[in-house]
Amino acid sequence: MLQKETKPKHYQKVIRADRWARRLITFGGYGIIVSIAAILLFLAYQSLPLAKNAAIETLFTFPASRGPAKALVVGIDPYQEIFYILDESGYIQFYKVAGTEPVSQAQLPLSGNEKILCAAKGSLASDLFAAGTDSGRIITAEVRFQLDYSGEGRVVIPSLSVKEVWQIPAGGDTLPNHVEKLAFSRNEDGSRFYAWVDHQGALWVRSYDADEEVDYLHPLSQYPGESSVTALTISNHGENLVVAAADGVMRWFGLKDFEKVALRDEWSISNSPVTALSYLLGDQAVAIGTGAGAVEVWFPVRTPSNLMKFRQIHSFRSHSAAVAHIYHSARNRDFLTIDGEGAAQLHYSTTGKTEVQFPRPDFPIAAGAFAPKSDGLLFVDAQKRFTLFRLDNPHPESTVKSLFGKVWYEGYPGPEFVWQSTGGSDEFESKLSLIPLIFGTLKGTLYALLFSIPIALLAAIYVSQFAPFRLSRIVKPTVEIMAALPSVVIGFLAGLYFSTLFEEYLMSTFVLLIFLPLFFLAGVAAWRAVPESYRMKIRPGFEVLFIIPVILIALQASLSLGHPVENFLFGGNFQQWLYTTWGVTYETRNSFVVGFALGFAVIPIIFTVSEDALSNVPKSLTSASLALGASRWQTVRRVVIPAASGGIFAAIMLGLGRAVGETMIVLMATGNTPIIDLNPFNGFRAMSACIAVEIPEAPVGGTLYRVLFLTALLLFIFTFVLNTLSSLIGERLRKKYARF
Amino acid sequence: MERRISYFKQKGDSYIFAASLGLVISLGMVVWIILVILTRGLSFFWPRDTVLVKLQNDSAYLGEMWESKTVYRVDAEGKEHKEEQFQLKIGNRDLYGRDFIWLTRAQVSEESDPTEAVTIERREYGKFFGFIRLVQIGDERFEQPGEILIEKAQEAHRLAIATRERIENTQEDLNNLMQPLANLQREITLLQLSPQAKTEKGQQKLAELQEEATKQEQSIADEYGILNQELERLTLQNRSIILTVATAEGAEKEIYFSEIVRFFQPNMMSGPAKAWIYAGKLWEFVADEPRESNTEGGVFPAIFGTVVMVLLMSIAVVPFGVMAAIYLNEYARQGTMIRFIRLSVNNLAGVPSIVFGVFGLGFFIYAVGGSIDQFFFSDKLPEPTFGTGGILWASLTLALLTLPVVVVATEEGLLAVPRANKEGALALGATRWQMIRKVVLPNALPGILTGLILAISRGAGEVAPLMITGVVKLAPTLAIDGSFPFLHLDRKFMHLGFHIYDVGFQSPNVEAAKPMVYTTALLLIVIVVLLNLVAIYFRNRLRKKYRGSTF
Repeated sequence: MLQKETKPKHYQKVIRADRWARRLITFGGYGIIVSIAAILLFLAYQSLPLAKNAAIETLFTFPASRGPAKALVVGIDPYQEIFYILDESGYIQFYKVAGTEPVSQAQLPLSGNEKILCAAKGSLASDLFAAGTDSGRIITAEVRFQLDYSGEGRVVIPSLSVKEVWQIPAGGDTLPNHVEKLAFSRNEDGSRFYAWVDHQGALWVRSYDADEEVDYLHPLSQYPGESSVTALTISNHGENLVVAAADGVMRWFGLKDFEKVALRDEWSISNSPVTALSYLLGDQAVAIGTGAGAVEVWFPVRTPSNLMKFRQIHSFRSHSAAVAHIYHSARNRDFLTIDGEGAAQLHYSTTGKTEVQFPRPDFPIAAGAFAPKSDGLLFVDAQKRFTLFRLDNPHPESTVKSLFGKVWYEGYPGPEFVWQSTGGSDEFESKLSLIPLIFGTLKGTLYALLFSIPIALLAAIYVSQFAPFRLSRIVKPTVEIMAALPSVVIGFLAGLYFSTLFEEYLMSTFVLLIFLPLFFLAGVAAWRAVPESYRMKIRPGFEVLFIIPVILIALQASLSLGHPVENFLFGGNFQQWLYTTWGVTYETRNSFVVGFALGFAVIPIIFTVSEDALSNVPKSLTSASLALGASRWQTVRRVVIPAASGGIFAAIMLGLGRAVGETMIVLMATGNTPIIDLNPFNGFRAMSACIAVEIPEAPVGGTLYRVLFLTALLLFIFTFVLNTLSSLIGERLRKKYARF
Repeated sequence: MERRISYFKQKGDSYIFAASLGLVISLGMVVWIILVILTRGLSFFWPRDTVLVKLQNDSAYLGEMWESKTVYRVDAEGKEHKEEQFQLKIGNRDLYGRDFIWLTRAQVSEESDPTEAVTIERREYGKFFGFIRLVQIGDERFEQPGEILIEKAQEAHRLAIATRERIENTQEDLNNLMQPLANLQREITLLQLSPQAKTEKGQQKLAELQEEATKQEQSIADEYGILNQELERLTLQNRSIILTVATAEGAEKEIYFSEIVRFFQPNMMSGPAKAWIYAGKLWEFVADEPRESNTEGGVFPAIFGTVVMVLLMSIAVVPFGVMAAIYLNEYARQGTMIRFIRLSVNNLAGVPSIVFGVFGLGFFIYAVGGSIDQFFFSDKLPEPTFGTGGILWASLTLALLTLPVVVVATEEGLLAVPRANKEGALALGATRWQMIRKVVLPNALPGILTGLILAISRGAGEVAPLMITGVVKLAPTLAIDGSFPFLHLDRKFMHLGFHIYDVGFQSPNVEAAKPMVYTTALLLIVIVVLLNLVAIYFRNRLRKKYRGSTF
């Protein structure tokens, strides 16, 4: 107490400064912990949504007011404000979401008590549909949603415009012909394609060429023959028609040529008849629903004889009743199956996964539809009650299986690991298997380590154990400079200089690989032949001076022998030989070049760390060994290397970490093609380079963006674990030899 | 014999030779790489002699000899022929469409070094190799070959360059004159597009602005007319200073002198004269803007961008890193937790740089930058201000990347402070902060400096994370300039390392761009190596001190 009173005034200030400094520095200290954790957590947080399953949420459900008439087509506008329903009496009613009375209605031009028997939507971009009636007419109409901003906020105004009313050819008898089943599509040129079955069971195709304004009519009744058609679908661009018959035979017709319909494939499904069919987005895959409730996806696969044949690719969770309807999304490979009892399921074609099972309604579902942005689903049941679901399914294409397993993509001959993130059209499906990237990274690392480990370790052993002090004093800073060389410079040299040089002197390089050890052995033998009295005059540690001429001679010999060897063994052209004998194309920027360049970047790390470990082996151990009569090499081999083995391992781990994460070198020195091939004469695409190239173009929050974050997370974790491992080993080693 | 072999095995001298082989190979590679970059990087600017090559098929090329190689060709009978090939830089991209051709010795019928051959460096289309035919300055024409012609050409060139400068100045005056009006117009357009325009108040404001604009327009009309006339006159004048040159085959080509950077006659130049040109080109390289999609001219914006980025990074990383190191060493209780943190910091150094880039992109740019845009720059949306790559985000990303370097180096410096000094200070009654400030920090300064220099060297050479956080191939404006607020943290910038990648791999004319890349690489290496040598020097001094104090 006494002391405190006598304290001068500035003491308060000092104490305060001390307190603030403590707070600030502690804050800084914690900051670093937080930032490390933040990196890991942020990467994880960004890639986590990939694992999210599809979620649905019932937005509302209510009974529609009017009419028991059967609903045939439903749809909703992109803002999910107005939806419509077409019933069999030809009425289109427009409802406002959350309102029970129709806001307006319109009618298709039907005559008398003409009824609509079937209807089909035919465009990905708009609400265009065709309806077939019992008096043999096909009415094409479009529902339009216009946006009006004149009043308060946005108002969606729906309208119906009838495009065409067309009479199908009359049947054999006097009765008007029915349209029993209908498939319809309009392509981006405006050409329209109709396929229907009339009440005599005959199959017809009509193509309308919008450019020439000409109609083409093709009777196809010879195909199903005796058996009746059970389902049919036309692809979204109108080029393909798939028809299922009651006898289980499926047929694929090409409609590309307006004037001729070609049967492209015919196959049979042995089990129960197909009751629902739909082409999916991309116009390759067809979703099939059978009478037994099975759901399958088929698409054509190229056979060895270069024919396209439909194959079953995936099967999904079955329904308990016959599948009645299949609808597909206009945004991705999602499709919806609805059975006769009202059960509905959402599937994703590529992954073969059934994503959602919808709650079963009280009555069978009459029709359903995807919202235009695929963020909602609309059902209408037999009592004309509506249910609107919000669909939250941002990354359906990424599952553990699709990221790390083989996936059978459309147009591929079988399941494969594929990385192809961007394509030409909107309907392109990104193929995001990480395996080719991981393989590429490991391939580059493998070649880099094969090259760098021996060189770096030998150099470390020499510098730490044998080199005179004057030499090691030059070597260490040089190696540090080597480590500091920007990787972009090494990468650029590898890509523009070494790759062409290597291509030019390919044979010489191979010859050198053989000659170097040979000349080396010869050199040692020559050395031994020198009488010992002379040899003793050279001080230990100056072996380097002797080895340089040996290397130079070997180099010169291989340079001059490269061409004759190529002539002798490979007929003068190694690359051609490689291609004709092994079917391998030689790429200028190949794995050898990367191995060399990446190895160059890794050598200083392995060298520095292992040299440290080797030098830190206690002098007492080596002295004891030498005193017992062991030679210099024996001491190194039996004492130093085992003692430092942990440190050497740590060094290799660190080098591995560096090689795995290096970006610029692999980006510049390879062709960046994501292939899985261990061949050293072609390139690869590494995870790091892939991130660097693709992330600037990836839409924020999209699947590619998140997959790239996942890739970064994998790199982070992998290198972090490697480094921790090597640090722990280093620490143990230090403790172990601290007592000497 | 038996004895000799076992002796051979036992002593194992050959293994020592093998070990030295590893050293020689790694050192050899360093020397090789440095030599390649040095020779190619430095030789690019040296004015090369030109060669006139006449071929068997009567075509002729004038150009610089670049490379030569031996090619083996097998003819139809299976007999092998050895062919000497050489690469000629023929320039004249606008006429030939390519800069280089490979010719075989057998094709050549005649080779000579004409002294009157001239090498012209142009602002567009690269070099022109040819012979001067005619110099036109207005109505004056000079076509008598000889000394006089060259002198006249030089005079014309000086005149044209002076006029060009005047044109640029006048253009700038004109821009300055128009600037307030342009700002006003922009405001009007923005207002017209905004929903505010529909309201009465908005209409009124719009009318006011438009009136103001008309007034301004009238007030500057006179001056505008004068400047514009001057500009037209000068432009016309420069169009009348023309050099007519002929290619090796005699095709004539007119070049405006104002489009010529420099021209010289390499075959009759002395060493010092060439050295003078060399120095001029070297200066152009470091001080000028790039031309011809970065394949010619200088790299000044890239140097500038690198420096500013590294400075910003240092400002962010040094205080934070030093604080963290002091905390770990002086404040935190040593234990498992601190060991774990230290381990994590060390490991952070081994995390691939691209991972930091991804973090910077997702966190700094999209999360932080996006929010800043929402709050402060919502009037410019959807055009992002901070929600896109920029020098601030790139610097912060690199600061995170180099944090472990600074922490580790500072810790090394802190450890070098003798315990006795610290305890002495505390015993004398100093508070902990006083002790740190007066004893620890001054003594640890070399360590901190080492950390800073290593961080700068790493930052200058790193490319991958920058590629995705704000580096561009060509930035129209620098990050620091004369317009308010002088330091533009949201701007994209150029970087030496990225320049190498971009010019070497993304440029349409890689072959012509290569020498430029070598020179840039050399510049980058020189910077990085110098920084590292300084860091090594500091650290060695520190280590010596450390040793001295413990024993």
